[in-house]
Amino acid sequence: MTTIPEPVTRAARGMADRALSWLHAHRALGGLPPDTTETMADPDSVYKPLGETTLAASLILRDGVAGPGRLVAARSLMDFTWEQFRGGDMIYERQLRHTLMTDPLEMYAPFYRCGYRHEGLDRLLAHRARMRSVNSVELLPNRRLAAANAARVVGLGHAEDMAALAGATWLGATPEPWAINWITAYAMTHTVFHLTDWGADPDGLPPELAAYVRTWLPVWIDVWREVGQWDLVAELLIVGASLPDPYCAAEDWEAVAALQHEDGLVPRDSDPVDDDPQRRFTDHQHTVVVTAVAGSIALARAAGRR
Amino acid sequence: MSSQSEFAAATDALAVSVLGALDGTGDAVQLARYVDDASDTLAALAAVRVLGADALSSHLLVGDPFEAQDAAVVAKAFDSFPASDVLEERTVARRDWATAQLLARLAGDDTLRAVAAPPADETELADTVHWQAWCVRMAQLAPLATLGLDGPVHDAARGGALTLSRGMSRSILRRDFPTAVRLIRWLAWLHHDGTPLPLDPALAAEHVSLLGGAGPRAALDLAIAGHFLRRPDTDPKAARA
Repeated sequence: MTTIPEPVTRAARGMADRALSWLHAHRALGGLPPDTTETMADPDSVYKPLGETTLAASLILRDGVAGPGRLVAARSLMDFTWEQFRGGDMIYERQLRHTLMTDPLEMYAPFYRCGYRHEGLDRLLAHRARMRSVNSVELLPNRRLAAANAARVVGLGHAEDMAALAGATWLGATPEPWAINWITAYAMTHTVFHLTDWGADPDGLPPELAAYVRTWLPVWIDVWREVGQWDLVAELLIVGASLPDPYCAAEDWEAVAALQHEDGLVPRDSDPVDDDPQRRFTDHQHTVVVTAVAGSIALARAAGRR
Repeated sequence: MSSQSEFAAATDALAVSVLGALDGTGDAVQLARYVDDASDTLAALAAVRVLGADALSSHLLVGDPFEAQDAAVVAKAFDSFPASDVLEERTVARRDWATAQLLARLAGDDTLRAVAAPPADETELADTVHWQAWCVRMAQLAPLATLGLDGPVHDAARGGALTLSRGMSRSILRRDFPTAVRLIRWLAWLHHDGTPLPLDPALAAEHVSLLGGAGPRAALDLAIAGHFLRRPDTDPKAARA
């Protein structure tokens, strides 16, 4: 059984529960504007955050370590986002119009994981998976891993060599740990997320990459904690909890837990948090999502679920 | 009256001289002549005292001759600026002890070891739990990463190779190049010592020299590190005091 220190599980419990409560309580602030179509001008404004909220809720349901009330809230949150996507129609239409885009597939994957289905989209994705064009789209290596993992989740089962994809990433090069920057650190975290399917398969991370991350994660957490990049720190906590031999230092988890507001908000950085409800949601929703995921994965590891 | 800024300037000037002797761009360092020729003798002695073991680098690493009058100047520097026996200044005491050991060895005169008292036992050096603070302490002890010395600090470095590597990486990421340079020096010493490292100290040394190795002290640390990285044939243990 994986050893996660008790102070970490205590912090993780509070982080995950309160983050989920916040996402659920404020879900209406993340709704799509009326008359949004599949051809949206700014997919990063609402569409992508809806997908992130869906992901958090789906992982809480998958991990199953939250209390019964929390699981109901997570299901309710997924029902809300599914409804926002018009029962999957919008995702289907976006994939239909934009064959080579990967975001509809990635958006659908957490729904699929939790039992939501859209028959047309299933057929479309199966068709799309057979296209050399789709499988040869030029993506950043960590983005290619994202699409490959989403395909794996929805059962397309096409023969992407995850180890080969991993080798093409920044992390795959096991580079100089002192030559990493903010955006590359995010790329590294996502490489780990997708290879381990968000902590479900720690051994999906090739052993040499797991050892490399285990070696340098304390440094990266330290430097981004110092400058208050809490969103990235929370992502690094997920990485630590997803390793075959987890790295979960109590002081790191307790530092993030201590930042969490009573209502569940976790600030993305050390800047002041705005009072305006919409601004609060827009600025910090991603960090709350990440916090919920980190807590859920750590609790699942502590419970010996994987 | 010599001021702190004059002490600092004299220290930088001596560091430049040692650097020149090490990389072959200057003459061998003669500490006695350096002090005799100085317009401010006290500042020159302060420089010898501050650089400590590093002032002896060209004698240790490239075999520059070390004369009796040079040894006398180092002893005089200790007379002018006595070694501290304050417990809180353990790092300074450890560096003073290192200087005294090297001085005695180069001069062939064991009585010179007495210019600095043996430092207190420091069992906590083996404890790297608070790794950031431990690395800062090891950076302060970087002058001990040289030929002819071995002891508890070196054992701590051997046992803390991973921690030193983490500390060096952290220092570069924080743009704390003075600390990074000193930790690279320890990593270079470990590389030379045959201790496996989780990263390439030579590339880190080159990176830091480009970004933050501008000052004479940093350049001297990097030159000493470079010496260890270039000369795998020289065993530091063979020259232990």
